[in-house]
Amino acid sequence: MYGKFGTIINEFYPTDEKNVTKGFIFLEYKNPSDAVDAVNATNNYKLDKQHTFLVNHYSDFEKYSNIPDEWTVPEPQEYKDQGNLHYYLLDPDAYDQYCLICSGGSTVQIWQNAAPEPTVVEERPNWTETYVRWSPLGTYMATFHARGVALWGGPKFKQIMRFSHTGVQLIDFSPCERYLVTYSPDGPSDQRRVIIWDVRTGAEKRSFSLDGVSLWPVFRWSPDDKFFARIGQDVLSVYETPSFGLLDKRSIKIPGIRDFAWSPTDNILVYWVAEDKDVPARVCLLEIPSRQEVRANNLFNVADCKIHWQKSGDYLCVKVDRYSKVKKEKNDAKYSVSFCGMYYNFEIFHMREKLIPVDSVEIKEPIHAFAWEPVGSKFAIIHGDQHSINVSFYGVKQGQPPSLLKKFEKRQCNHLFWSPTGQFIVLAGLRSMHGSLEFIDTNEFVVMNAGEHYTASDVEWDPTGRYVVTGVSSWKQKVDNGFWLWSFQGKKLKKHNIDGFCQLMWRPRPPSLLSAKQQKEIKKNLKKYTPQFESKDRMRSTRASKELIEKRCQLMKTFEEYRQKNIQAWNEAKTRRLELRNNVDTDELESDTKNVEEEEIEFLVKEEHTVIEE
Amino acid sequence: MKPLMLHGHERAITQIKYNREGDLLFSSAKDHSPNVWYSLNGERLGTFNGHSGAVWTLDIDWQTRFFMSGAADFTLRIWDCSTGTQLGNIVTRSSVRTCAFSYSGNMAVFTTDKAMGHPCEIFVVDTRNIDSSFSDNDPIMRIPISDSKVTSILWGALDETILTGHEDGTVKIWDLQSGKELAKAREHTNSVNDMQMNKDQSMFITASKDNTARLFDANNLMALKVYKTERPVNSAAISPILDHVVLGGGQEAMDVTTTSTRIGKFDSRFFHLVFEEEFGRVKGHFGPINSVAFHPDGKSYSSGGEDGYVRVHTFDQSYYEFNFDY
Repeated sequence: MYGKFGTIINEFYPTDEKNVTKGFIFLEYKNPSDAVDAVNATNNYKLDKQHTFLVNHYSDFEKYSNIPDEWTVPEPQEYKDQGNLHYYLLDPDAYDQYCLICSGGSTVQIWQNAAPEPTVVEERPNWTETYVRWSPLGTYMATFHARGVALWGGPKFKQIMRFSHTGVQLIDFSPCERYLVTYSPDGPSDQRRVIIWDVRTGAEKRSFSLDGVSLWPVFRWSPDDKFFARIGQDVLSVYETPSFGLLDKRSIKIPGIRDFAWSPTDNILVYWVAEDKDVPARVCLLEIPSRQEVRANNLFNVADCKIHWQKSGDYLCVKVDRYSKVKKEKNDAKYSVSFCGMYYNFEIFHMREKLIPVDSVEIKEPIHAFAWEPVGSKFAIIHGDQHSINVSFYGVKQGQPPSLLKKFEKRQCNHLFWSPTGQFIVLAGLRSMHGSLEFIDTNEFVVMNAGEHYTASDVEWDPTGRYVVTGVSSWKQKVDNGFWLWSFQGKKLKKHNIDGFCQLMWRPRPPSLLSAKQQKEIKKNLKKYTPQFESKDRMRSTRASKELIEKRCQLMKTFEEYRQKNIQAWNEAKTRRLELRNNVDTDELESDTKNVEEEEIEFLVKEEHTVIEE
Repeated sequence: MKPLMLHGHERAITQIKYNREGDLLFSSAKDHSPNVWYSLNGERLGTFNGHSGAVWTLDIDWQTRFFMSGAADFTLRIWDCSTGTQLGNIVTRSSVRTCAFSYSGNMAVFTTDKAMGHPCEIFVVDTRNIDSSFSDNDPIMRIPISDSKVTSILWGALDETILTGHEDGTVKIWDLQSGKELAKAREHTNSVNDMQMNKDQSMFITASKDNTARLFDANNLMALKVYKTERPVNSAAISPILDHVVLGGGQEAMDVTTTSTRIGKFDSRFFHLVFEEEFGRVKGHFGPINSVAFHPDGKSYSSGGEDGYVRVHTFDQSYYEFNFDY
């Protein structure tokens, strides 16, 4: 491990009488700068649960024993200005950026969704080797390369940081963008499969060697970046930052734990334990770091559970698949268990109320999708069998069980996409359902518009909830690739047909800096602001059409000049043409007056019946 | 506009052309008999029977005396237009892919496919006297093509040059006297499917599998305009009276895994010649459009498709009144 900092000339493992290493070693490097690097990178490095490296320069011993009695002010380190990483938020017209991967993955472009036409901010071929990720608050863009991951940001998309992790395939950002987790399944024999890095300094903080990853992300973060956890066989390991050690130096033993998830706003995580013979399944809410069980729910006849947190952390929904009968069949000395008579429960936890009351909603039909309204208190589910798919909206209120607000029957959809600001939702029938789209306003449950993007494979809202993009990715099919831009009301704004279009990802926005009260103020005074925006829009569109008209005028002028030359040449060549056709003038259809015959043809134009006598 | 639907072919249409005066419309298809129709009312005048393979190409001389067709049965046949009798026949060594009468009608050029050891070749023959000895006459000029095969051909103005479009997207101009290649343009990135001249033969439009059609100067192959679509363009034509071009195309059946189940949605698209902007679409075909042609008076146009139908459309008033602001 230390070999990578430079060539080691000397190693000395002091041993005691029994020839067991005392617990420290001396290393000598060829280059003094390599020694400095080694100390900087590995001091306080956690080798494993119990052991941390403490590394010093040999010269430090001298230094510390010779500390002068006078204290001299240390020189300040030069500040490397990374530029304004959040420049894109200052766009005066609030245009969002999105990154576009096209040409089958080889070109990455960053566009600004300007009106009337989007403009390219940056385009680089082969910017990434596989794909691209935005960081959760939108500050960085990560690209993948054979040797690691690079982060780009700032107005010119300069390279901010580089992380070398050979063969990296998957990454995950912590929610506040402080840490980056990279996973490389086929790295060299270093055995370092998962590495956690500090984004700002680029330093490696901790590494884990995990054999095989069942579900990425393996480490899930608390919303404030203070903790991260992973699940193991019957155990939940919670780590804390910045020390990167296990919380209280031990994992939490939870036999039968199947899955867990952090609340998006608080340091609470929920986990569920599978049913075991007579012991019912449990859903538990655990507060970190106190490890106090805040709430627990026992459930019987559980086949499976799925956790859905609402984005504002106000509610938690656990979808429980329950069976009414268990069938145990014996084949080859093994019991295979199959569940019959499935029905589904949604356990809704009211997180903000005292003692976290739990309400239950039961649905007898198979569930295809579930989605919380990101801002608000509604959730939508798609349920029903193949022939009769229904969409139901439930509202949750403090102190009350969820109530069915509206049920849309017989819809062609298999996915739900809420607007990130709530209130609006798109019901989409992707892939097999011909890309049918319905735009619904859930304040009145009115279908604002229904459209279709045939063979659409992806639907993405922009971070402000103004636009929806539906795309046909060339990773899913090779024909008709491109994306369409819709307004949130379902009006088709623009169609972009791009060969080899793979993916479009909006640049995320950090949460608004305005307080809830300020936002309410603005909404109240919207009438004051709208005329400003309208006049700006109008000016912009007339400018665009003026530009277009100027462009056309120019094109026509150049073409007319060219055409005149052709007409001149044509006129000059007239005699040659007559020669070729035996002096028959064929330049115009009527020019040959000699060979013309006049023929009178009668066409039946109208028939009129008049009854003369009764 | 209500189109005339001409149903006379059982297989896909390969090419359609009007005669010089526009009163007749000729169509060839993968079934072995080209048809000729009155363009005014769509009544069929007759069929030319004799080929035993798919007919790939056709042309009519400027006097509407002779009709020429080339087919996959390795023959190029010349017929009498009014009676439909076969006048002459040239047997070649592979399928005849393209053919064209010269401006004067005294010569014809045709090309054969690259097959079975024989290279693609351009033949120029004398067509002043067409009789049974036609096939025995030596060609005036014979040019072997060693690289990409010729997929489309046109005579240059005044019959001094020949323009060829190739399977790799190149367009070449050849001198007739010497048989030498004068110039080459490499603008398209995929096969050139069709080339058509404008009325005064100063420019021509190429339709290509790379989803674009391009306008070139006929004398120096200068690239003038590009018309972009998202489907391969099989054929393109220039209006004789207005600054419009029409493009016809569509995805080939074997490239499509899921097709829109909405019927009749393969369309011909109209673009402005100078502004390169699309301004209209005419739907109706049940399969990709393989050939388009404007009537010589510019008041109607026809399209032939993979579905075997030829549709003749007459423009209504709004077409003439449509104008781009500039």
